[in-house]
Amino acid sequence: MDFNIIECVLLAIVTFIFAIDQFSLTEIVYRPIIACPIIGLILGDVNMGLIIGGTYELMMIGNMPVGGAQPPNAVLGSVVAMIFAVKAHMDTNAALGACMIFATFGQYVVTVMFTIMSGLMAKADKAAAEANPKGITAVLNISMAGLGGLFALIAIVAYSAGVGMSDTLTEISKNASWFMGGLGAAGGMMRFVGFAILLKIMLSNDLWGYLLAGFAFALILGNIPATSSAALILVAFIGIAIALNDFLTTSKIKENAGSGMGGMSDGI
Amino acid sequence: MESNAMTTYKDTTPAARVDNKTLNKMVWRSMQLQAAFNYERMQSAGWLWAMLPGLQKIHTNKDDLAASMTHNMDFLNTHPFAVTFVMGMVLSMEQQKMDIQTIRSVRISTAAPLGGIGDALFWYTLIPITAGMTANMAIDGNMMGPILYFIIAFGAEMALRYGLMYWSYNLGTKAVSMMTAHAKEFTHAASLLGVFVVGALISNYGGGTHLGISIPNGQTVAEDGKTMVDVFINIQEYLDKILPCLIPLLFTLMCYFLIKKKNWTPTKCIGLFLVIGIVGAIFGIWGGDYTPLVPVPWNVVA
Repeated sequence: MDFNIIECVLLAIVTFIFAIDQFSLTEIVYRPIIACPIIGLILGDVNMGLIIGGTYELMMIGNMPVGGAQPPNAVLGSVVAMIFAVKAHMDTNAALGACMIFATFGQYVVTVMFTIMSGLMAKADKAAAEANPKGITAVLNISMAGLGGLFALIAIVAYSAGVGMSDTLTEISKNASWFMGGLGAAGGMMRFVGFAILLKIMLSNDLWGYLLAGFAFALILGNIPATSSAALILVAFIGIAIALNDFLTTSKIKENAGSGMGGMSDGI
Repeated sequence: MESNAMTTYKDTTPAARVDNKTLNKMVWRSMQLQAAFNYERMQSAGWLWAMLPGLQKIHTNKDDLAASMTHNMDFLNTHPFAVTFVMGMVLSMEQQKMDIQTIRSVRISTAAPLGGIGDALFWYTLIPITAGMTANMAIDGNMMGPILYFIIAFGAEMALRYGLMYWSYNLGTKAVSMMTAHAKEFTHAASLLGVFVVGALISNYGGGTHLGISIPNGQTVAEDGKTMVDVFINIQEYLDKILPCLIPLLFTLMCYFLIKKKNWTPTKCIGLFLVIGIVGAIFGIWGGDYTPLVPVPWNVVA
């Protein structure tokens, strides 16, 4: 496989942008149908980009980044499939098959980044407490640079090492599976910290029952196939009814208490 | 961390309406909602960054800005395109200088359900239809495929962002002034709703945390009455019989206790979960698709 420094640099730059775009910016440009032709332009075969991009896009329907789930990473998948197809002259399906280990690896990279970036929240909290908007901007920039940089690095490695990388990656992901499994489990638990911070402020002693009620309703609605995808909306509806009732009752009590007092003073 | 304890703004005079230029800026900034996405607070830093132009206009007092920025760093997860609906709502409440706790509660109660609606509309409806239309054009080598895809998807996304921002900001401004007559009662009701929704989030988002221990327990005759099949005892299934999502609930309460009573920082809690997660995976305790480092006498299942 011939190595071309300009191609390599351009590839790293677009991968950097796609990596950020998959969660921010447009959230559209990273999709294979758009990303692959752009990569094809860099590698000198736009037509191959269109074919791979279209095929990959159809593969991805039903494999969407919803509900915090991480499907195999489309950015690394697109980049590597294109390298394999254009540089190693693999046919479309073989390239798409061979890129899947990279897509899985990309999913690992995202898990690691999302775990590490939890640590940046302390920095953001500090900036917030100091009313320092620049600090928040810095947190965002560091995160984006980290994610984009890591992806660009993998793209460079994939470009220079080519198809041979697949075996090494398969080996690594096999040996490190306990570590990734652990990070994945830890990543899933970190949201409990976020919930606890919310509760720290909102949860007064008279509201404990409502916490458990919300928990129960979401469990029930989430386990009924017909309602499971709308569970949170339905829970919010129930919650609004209870909250409205609470608001009206307490407001009325206050009004009545007020008029009672007024009546007494009238009597005197 | 003094501002953490603030429950009302120092300057409670409602601010002037935020001008359209600032609102537009917030719409564009909302695209970076997930730029600092992480497992602890998900979109919070990106949310705050998008809110900042408006917040800086509203809170001219530095202490108030600090208080506002601090509570806008709360856990948040909503749909990245529909987020402007929550932004407009929260901005109108900030503008009226409502009770901080009310803003917090309304924000999480509005944001959480929107995620599901947005996903259903965008990722399950618009994108598959658009992809179905354009992917075949691309496969045939037609450059219009990706271009059409971008125009449709990005156009819908931006129309949604703009429309929802203005709609909810105007809606919020009207609704909020009605609520201020019974501010204290409204705060209580809003906190109630917020706590209710967080309870729902624990079981709705927490299910990923489960045990993966599956202990082989001999064999039994299969349903056809001839062949023998292996029997496994799945510990999580027994836990589910006591209470589904028991572990997520206990972990949240543990964190709440550590933060509220023991004054732990969120970072310390994250460190604790990293240890629990990785040590658990070394011994094959947590569910997932991996091989434990230490050989254990049970199977790890997802």
